[in-house]
Amino acid sequence: MKLGERKISYSFLAIGCALVFALMASGCVSNQGSPTQTAQTTTTQIQRITVTGSTTVLPIAEKAKEAFEVNYTYADIQVSGGGSSVGVTSAGQGNAEIGMSSRDLSPEEVKNYPELVKYEIAWDAVILIVHPSNSINNLTLSQIRGIYNGTITNWNQVGGSNQAIVVVGRDSASGTRTYFSEAVMKNENFTAKQEEFNSNGGILQKIAQTPGAIGYVGLAYTEGVKAVKINVNGTMIEPTLNNVLAKTYPISRPLYLLTKGQPKGLAKQFIDFILSPEGQQIVGNVDYVPLPK
Amino acid sequence: MEKSNQIFLGDLNGWYIPINRWLKKIFSLVKSFLLFHDHHFIDDFIKKILFLTAISAIIAVFFIIFFLLRDGYQIFWEAGVWNFLTSSTWNPTGEPPLFGTLPLIIGTLLVMVGAMIIAVPLSIGSAIFIAEIASPRMKVVIKPAIELLAGIPSVVYGFFGLILLTDWLRVLFNQPSGSSWLAGSILLGIMALPTITSVAEDAISSVPREFKEGSLALGANHWQTIRKVVVPGALSGITAAIILGIGRAIGETMAVLMVTGNAAIIPEPIINVFSPIRTLTGTLGIEMGEVAFGSLHYHALFGVAVILLFITLIVNIIATLIINRIKGRQIPVNRKPCRKFTLRIENKLRSFQKLAFFSRFSKTLSRLRSYRTFVGCTILGFIVIGLTYSKPFLWIALLVGAVTSERFEFFIHQMRKKLFHPETVQTIAFSLITISVLIVICILALIIYEIVANGIGALNWNFLTQPPQDLGRSGGIFPAIIGTLYLVGGALIIACPVGIAAAIYLIEYTQESKLTYIIRTGVDLLNGTPSIVFGLFGFAFLVLFLKFGISLVAGQITLGLMILPTIIRTTEEALRSVPRSLREGSYALGATKWQTTWRVVLPPAMPSILTGAILSIGRAAGETAPIMFTAVIFSSKFLPSSVFDPVMALPYHLFILTTNVPGATVNKFGTALVLLLTVLSIYLIAIIIRHHYQLARAM
Repeated sequence: MKLGERKISYSFLAIGCALVFALMASGCVSNQGSPTQTAQTTTTQIQRITVTGSTTVLPIAEKAKEAFEVNYTYADIQVSGGGSSVGVTSAGQGNAEIGMSSRDLSPEEVKNYPELVKYEIAWDAVILIVHPSNSINNLTLSQIRGIYNGTITNWNQVGGSNQAIVVVGRDSASGTRTYFSEAVMKNENFTAKQEEFNSNGGILQKIAQTPGAIGYVGLAYTEGVKAVKINVNGTMIEPTLNNVLAKTYPISRPLYLLTKGQPKGLAKQFIDFILSPEGQQIVGNVDYVPLPK
Repeated sequence: MEKSNQIFLGDLNGWYIPINRWLKKIFSLVKSFLLFHDHHFIDDFIKKILFLTAISAIIAVFFIIFFLLRDGYQIFWEAGVWNFLTSSTWNPTGEPPLFGTLPLIIGTLLVMVGAMIIAVPLSIGSAIFIAEIASPRMKVVIKPAIELLAGIPSVVYGFFGLILLTDWLRVLFNQPSGSSWLAGSILLGIMALPTITSVAEDAISSVPREFKEGSLALGANHWQTIRKVVVPGALSGITAAIILGIGRAIGETMAVLMVTGNAAIIPEPIINVFSPIRTLTGTLGIEMGEVAFGSLHYHALFGVAVILLFITLIVNIIATLIINRIKGRQIPVNRKPCRKFTLRIENKLRSFQKLAFFSRFSKTLSRLRSYRTFVGCTILGFIVIGLTYSKPFLWIALLVGAVTSERFEFFIHQMRKKLFHPETVQTIAFSLITISVLIVICILALIIYEIVANGIGALNWNFLTQPPQDLGRSGGIFPAIIGTLYLVGGALIIACPVGIAAAIYLIEYTQESKLTYIIRTGVDLLNGTPSIVFGLFGFAFLVLFLKFGISLVAGQITLGLMILPTIIRTTEEALRSVPRSLREGSYALGATKWQTTWRVVLPPAMPSILTGAILSIGRAAGETAPIMFTAVIFSSKFLPSSVFDPVMALPYHLFILTTNVPGATVNKFGTALVLLLTVLSIYLIAIIIRHHYQLARAM
């Protein structure tokens, strides 16, 4: 029995050591192998670029990649998202060929990464959503501002039922919020009681189950909630793709791709593809707003 | 030996001599290691290696602190330390931007305290149930079931919390919004449960059989034995378990930010459990991804991470002080036999017996009995405040007050003397313990039911073997499954040898000293470091600084660092539970330290060590934050061809599907289910191994 135990312990150690060595070996091999690999790929097979950054832009890049890779079979475009700042830093440092950002570059970032080149690839409309049971159908921009700065706290102040308003918004680093703050809030401070989420999905879920809540999200997030029309001087404007395209819908913002210096090779081809009519159609298909023609 | 020397001597010229000496040393080392010849030398060598692993945790903490401070000191400079810590408005994008972290600090503490109030009684009850009351067959089912709770990824917890928990709270208490302090505490309590239960159960199980038999032989019944012998005997383990649990609660990011509402306000009144609240981790979690690098806001977030680290440090120091107090009381043998001291111990023991049984459910509470008056007063204060402000809170406060207040205890004690027969007490205690287990099992069943019921529709062969399409709405998740296995496997390969070796060094090779204290503090700090900070550190250090790029190996190292403290802590506990007599027997037979450790101490400790590894697997497999910036991509046609390629991973896939792809409900739950099943199968393998060891030990 004792012997058996010992055998097992040793075999575990042996397996563990073997795995560690395997890992190290594979690391070494690939380390040495990578330069030759890139040398080969320029002439023949798979080319790889990394696209990283904003999770808001991620669906566009991902969908465009699927279509792109059909025509360019040698291309392996790796899309990942960690946030706009990851996109800016990775592109600026050259860790990724293309960075994605849902906000403009900050002064610090322009200073740190002067070589970054910015491409506007699409627009994202910001819509206001409420619970389906809410009797409110439209709001003016100043009413929305009142709700978000805390002066309006009950739905009956804007013509709804007697119910406390639960204000829901994005986190303070969010590009959507920055835009919302400029376009709707005129840079007034948000109420401190605002509940904050860091994704469209989170806000959607919260609104869908909270009768008194209001929130703002991207155009695609309408499942299980009611999108509020915006009252612009008495005209009720529904948040639809056409209204945004026609610029009658008042709240939308640009999305960006970033490269370090002018893009080359596959990166350039990929950006060109997204900017092409086919690429812009994909933008529309994933519920973002294509660039004006 | 001779032969090998000749080979090298043949090519010798003067320059190679040192190398040759080294080779000779290595050869003789290997040889003597195999034949166990030169014991002294091996022991020395092994001790050095073990020491290096032991300080690895400190090195990691040092690196993390360095990288945090490198980007965080600016805010302390700009805003002023005092201002940054004590002003109560957090509005980084306002005009002017305000960086006051007081509401965040208070939020973190409140959520943590709430989570512990929920988790500690339930998990210690469950641990006692598993270790002492459950039949062996029941134990085989319940223990893995609770460990399974640890394997549920935090994103899933977060969405469970967001979809179900906050909604229940909203309806149940008739509040406008369910996102609240209470929701955060409940969720974190559930998440800390399996950690505390598992480690505490191991500690309780490892109380020597003789103690129990002795107590039973003296006529104590089962409950009295548990209460007065088993639990006190396992106290250091239980405390370690609670510290681990607190670590988990402080460090959790992804789940807590989904349910607390994240409004940066101090609850009004302070005990209003329905107020939305924002934690330090939540702030990092929701703002870190998008903040502009290099801006003041960015530095402020690193400042927040530094504060978080300090809070962890303070919690750990307090916990260590408590443990030392307990140890001082428990093992007076270690102190110089002083008449006064013995008397004091006796008095303490006497007062210990006077304690009413109610507070014993939470051993930590009763351990604080010297602070009882203080606790009583605080509770009383809470009741008064609760009375004036909120009715539901009043009931909670009353309940807590009733359980802890001295008066009530005394009252109960009198009642018990007259009315309660020990057998009745035992019945009541056991039923309460059973109820706590049932609650835990129900929570588990509920979450699993949610995932299975919604996800089973997505499961088919294509889903498991195809890459994703249409943003993950269709197609499969094959690369993500493989990627997760790679990540978890790599993390274990990195963390297990280092962690186990470090624990061996701490327990077997050193005395308690300043150094071990520093190492342990380092380990606890690492344990309390939020997963998102690991992610940031991985991004700053591995991805950018070491230029690994977003890659498998960066993720593996980051995850490995994250699970290292769990492995060290649980291994330590396992080694401590091996009776001293076994070691002494081995030494008496002439074995060296290393032989004793390797052949006598490690085998019986193996099941507990594996428990630690199992818990880590669960954590590593389910975490999103550490790999989000370091290792993952959203989709790939290809599997990684080397460790420097990025991978897909299940939790991240789930995270993107739930947050940024509308209309992927089926695949979302399908991914959650597969993630759960993957973890489950890893668990099964580990549990079988553990079972095997336990059988071997039993024989």
